[in-house]
Amino acid sequence: MARIIGGIGTSHVPTIGMAFDRKKRDDPNWTPLFEGYDAVASWLAARKPDVLVFFYNDHATSFFFDLYPTFAIGVSDEFAIADEGLGPRPLPRIKGHPRLARHLAESLVNAEFDLAVFQDLPLDHGCNSPLTMLWPHSPDWPGALVPIEINVVQYPLPTALRCYKLGQAVRRAVASYPEDLKVVVVGTGGLSHQMQGERAGFNNTEWDMRFLDLIEREPETLAAMRHVDFARLGGSEGVEVIMWLAMRGALSDAVRKIHQSYYLPMTTAMAVAVFEEPEAPPRAAAETAMHGARIPA
Amino acid sequence: MNPQLEGIETLEGTYPFDLERSAKALRVNRFFRGLIVPENRQLFRDRPEAAFDKAGLTDEERQMVRARDWRALVHYGATFFALEKLARVSGVSNPEMVAQMRGETLETFLKTRNVPGAR
Repeated sequence: MARIIGGIGTSHVPTIGMAFDRKKRDDPNWTPLFEGYDAVASWLAARKPDVLVFFYNDHATSFFFDLYPTFAIGVSDEFAIADEGLGPRPLPRIKGHPRLARHLAESLVNAEFDLAVFQDLPLDHGCNSPLTMLWPHSPDWPGALVPIEINVVQYPLPTALRCYKLGQAVRRAVASYPEDLKVVVVGTGGLSHQMQGERAGFNNTEWDMRFLDLIEREPETLAAMRHVDFARLGGSEGVEVIMWLAMRGALSDAVRKIHQSYYLPMTTAMAVAVFEEPEAPPRAAAETAMHGARIPA
Repeated sequence: MNPQLEGIETLEGTYPFDLERSAKALRVNRFFRGLIVPENRQLFRDRPEAAFDKAGLTDEERQMVRARDWRALVHYGATFFALEKLARVSGVSNPEMVAQMRGETLETFLKTRNVPGAR
């Protein structure tokens, strides 16, 4: 059976990918960002998930307003890195997991989450910017990624509560997948930032800290908030943290935040957090126990 | 009125990208989005007026694009994420865009930031 072993919340601002591509780790302006992600990369390297289910948003790159889906799932074998004006980042194509993705699409639509299905569309910085901080990519990515796109760009957006419920439906769908797979859910975006109008450059670290606390302990409080509340507290583009609620909805009540880092150098608060599910009984031990029970006394 | 946005008008300098703005600015947003295609970028760099013709931009739209007037374009209905593509093709950074939208010079804006060198 497939199993969700944990979750990651991460900003996806393009400068994270830019700092990575320009090898800024030793630049003191950027070192704190890299160090904040080190523990996350180590956790992934140790836990070795087969698949990352990635709640992200496209930025009018692969989807445009002639048809902008509220929710969409990518079911391809692989996804190209999007060209967003400067040519694509020099990265291998991102591997999909078509069997799990098809299962999720079928399960979610049957659970009345009528999402759109896409194939063969490039993934933009909403997905690829944090990915290089999480996983190595040379010679290739160590696992597959199932992208679930959420409209946080063109109102009406799905409500925070709807995103949370989507995550809960993804949890049930993963649990009903027959193949043994370790899955990590990733919610992207935020934290506080506003990139438009005279209020551009708005940040609110106090709110960001409260959000990072509530997302672990009281996600229902966040799920009850309206978009205007998120915009007032975290800036107009800060509304995209509703994608963290999709991630959190896919985790259990017993999940614990085991890492958090926060860096606000310029316009966008860059945060990353890891949420770990309690360990299931180790498989080998469980099998030994079963085997042992069969040995006649 | 979208109940999720009730009261948003009390946030000064904030322009939620809704269906009305999306419809009004569809043409410019499509033009900006089109800059992810290398041939369109090349045409825009070499012969901007020909690129505007191809996209069917109005005089008002062309003027805002020529001036890289980010604030006016946001007021008009452009979404930041489409504008970002014009900025990349134009060699303009996000801090420069944000400073202009706030009505500040880049230098003044950077003084308000935690790590002005993180660019």
